[in-house]
Amino acid sequence: MFDLVEVVEGRCQLRQALIKDKRFGDCLSILPAAQTRDKDAVTPEQFSSVVAQAAEQCDFVLVDCPAGIEGGFRNAIAGVGEAIVVTTPEVSAIRDADRVIGKLVERALPIRLIINRLRPEMVRTQDMLSVDDVCEILSAELLGVIPDDEEIIDMTNRGEPIALNPSMRLATIYDKIARRLEGELVPFTSFDSPGFFGRLFGALKAG
Amino acid sequence: MQGRLAHFAQPWALHARTFRGSQMTQLRGKGTGLEVVLAGQPFDEALAELADRLGQRPQFYRGSEATAVFDVAEPDPEDVARLGLLLDEHGIALRGLAVCGPVADALEARREKRAKREVTLSDSARSLVADFAGARSDIAQRRRKGEPSVPRVDFRRKPEPTAEAPALRVVEAAPQTLYHQGTLRGGQSLHQVGSIVIVGDVNPGAELVASGDIVVFGRLAGTAHAGAQGDAAARIYALDLCPTQLRIATCIAADSTQRGNSEPEVAAVRENRIVIVSYRQAHTLEEEAVR
Repeated sequence: MFDLVEVVEGRCQLRQALIKDKRFGDCLSILPAAQTRDKDAVTPEQFSSVVAQAAEQCDFVLVDCPAGIEGGFRNAIAGVGEAIVVTTPEVSAIRDADRVIGKLVERALPIRLIINRLRPEMVRTQDMLSVDDVCEILSAELLGVIPDDEEIIDMTNRGEPIALNPSMRLATIYDKIARRLEGELVPFTSFDSPGFFGRLFGALKAG
Repeated sequence: MQGRLAHFAQPWALHARTFRGSQMTQLRGKGTGLEVVLAGQPFDEALAELADRLGQRPQFYRGSEATAVFDVAEPDPEDVARLGLLLDEHGIALRGLAVCGPVADALEARREKRAKREVTLSDSARSLVADFAGARSDIAQRRRKGEPSVPRVDFRRKPEPTAEAPALRVVEAAPQTLYHQGTLRGGQSLHQVGSIVIVGDVNPGAELVASGDIVVFGRLAGTAHAGAQGDAAARIYALDLCPTQLRIATCIAADSTQRGNSEPEVAAVRENRIVIVSYRQAHTLEEEAVR
C-alpha cells in the first residue's frame, strides 16, 4: 500500500496508491495520507500537482483539510477549486471558521458551508445559534445542515458510511448534500418546526 | 592569666610551626621572642628543667614573649596552663604554641600535599579573571590621573553638533477614503490614512484603523480605531454597533453587553470618554459640541 508522500516522491504512480472502495466499483477511491511522515513532507506545489492528476480521472476530488490555518491547511487548499467549510454552531468554532473563510477568500475560492452537530431543541430554546445566524455571521452559502445525532456517532464508530444505509433516517441528509454539490437545487430539511423528529418517528412507526 | 590561656585552647595545628631533628628542652632567642622547646621527654621533667634554666637568670627574660614548642599536636591544656604560669613568674608572656617532631612532619606533609593541588580555571572563569584584572588596572589608571573611577556623564551639557545629519523628509500621505465592499473576517485588518467605509460586516477578530472616521454599513463586531493619529473628533458609525473594542484617538471602550435593538449608532468622544448614541440622536453630539 502506498500513500500520498510516496506519490509525491515519485516512488509510485497515483493510480497505484489509490485504494478503491469495492462497493462502488471504480467510482470511489481514497488516497491515504502518510502515517509515518508529517505534513512538512509535502509542499503545496507537490500537493497541487497530485490534486491535478487526480482531477483528470475523477469528477470530484475531496481534500480533507486539517483544522487551523497552518502548514497542513496551506497544503490542503493548494490546487483546489472550491472550499466546503464545516463548522459547529458554537461561537468559538464560528470565529475560527470566519478566520479560515477569510484565508480562503484571499485565494478567491468559492465557499460553501456545512453546519455540523446542530441541536434543533437548543436552537428552539435559543441556547444555540440557528442556521440563519451562522450563515449571516459567516456570510457564506449554505451547503447542508447535519444534526447532532446518536446514529451518526454510532455509525462513525463502526466505520460505516451512514449515507449507504437507507434505513437510517439521516442518510438523506448526506444524500442531499451530495446532490447540491452536483448542482441540483435541493430544498433544505427544516429543523425549525418543533415536530420534525416527532413526525419522523411517527412516520417510521407508521411505516 | 587563665583567660589568656583559654585563648590558646584552640586547634593547635593552626599555630603549628615545625622543627626537625631530635629536640630536648631548650630555651633560645628567635626572631622577636623566645622559643621554649618542650620535646623528647615527659612534660613534667621538661617543665622542671625549664624552671631550673629560668631560675639561673631570674631577671634576664623579663618582658619578653615566648612561643612554646611541643612534640604533640594537641598538648594538654593543663600543661599549657602550668607552662604559662611558670613563664609568667619570670615575666615572660606566652604568645603562641608550636609543634615539632613526627607530628610536625605529618603536618608538613599534609601541607605540602595541599600546596601541590593545582587549581584549574575554566575558560569562562579565566576570561572573568582577565576582565577583572583589566578593570582593576583601568580603575587604578583613572585614580592615578585623579579621575573618578566611575565615569560621570554630564547630561546638562548639550552634545556637540556632529557632522550634518542627512535630513529626513516626512512625506505625509494625503488623507483618502478607503472603500471596502464585503465582509471583513477575523484576522483581517484595514489601515488607512483618512476614513474607512465598509459595506459589509466586520467580524470579531477583524481590525479597522483609520486616522479619520469609520463607517460600517453592516455589523461592526471587531475592533475599530478611529482618529488613530490623535483626532478626538473622529467618529465610528455602524448599522449594528456591537464591537469587541472601540478606540477613538486615545480613548478606549469595550462594551460586552449585548443590545437587542440593532439600529444605526454613532460612537464619539465626549469629556474624554467614548459615548454611543443612536444615529437619530446624533445631532445632540453636534449641539453639545457647539455649547
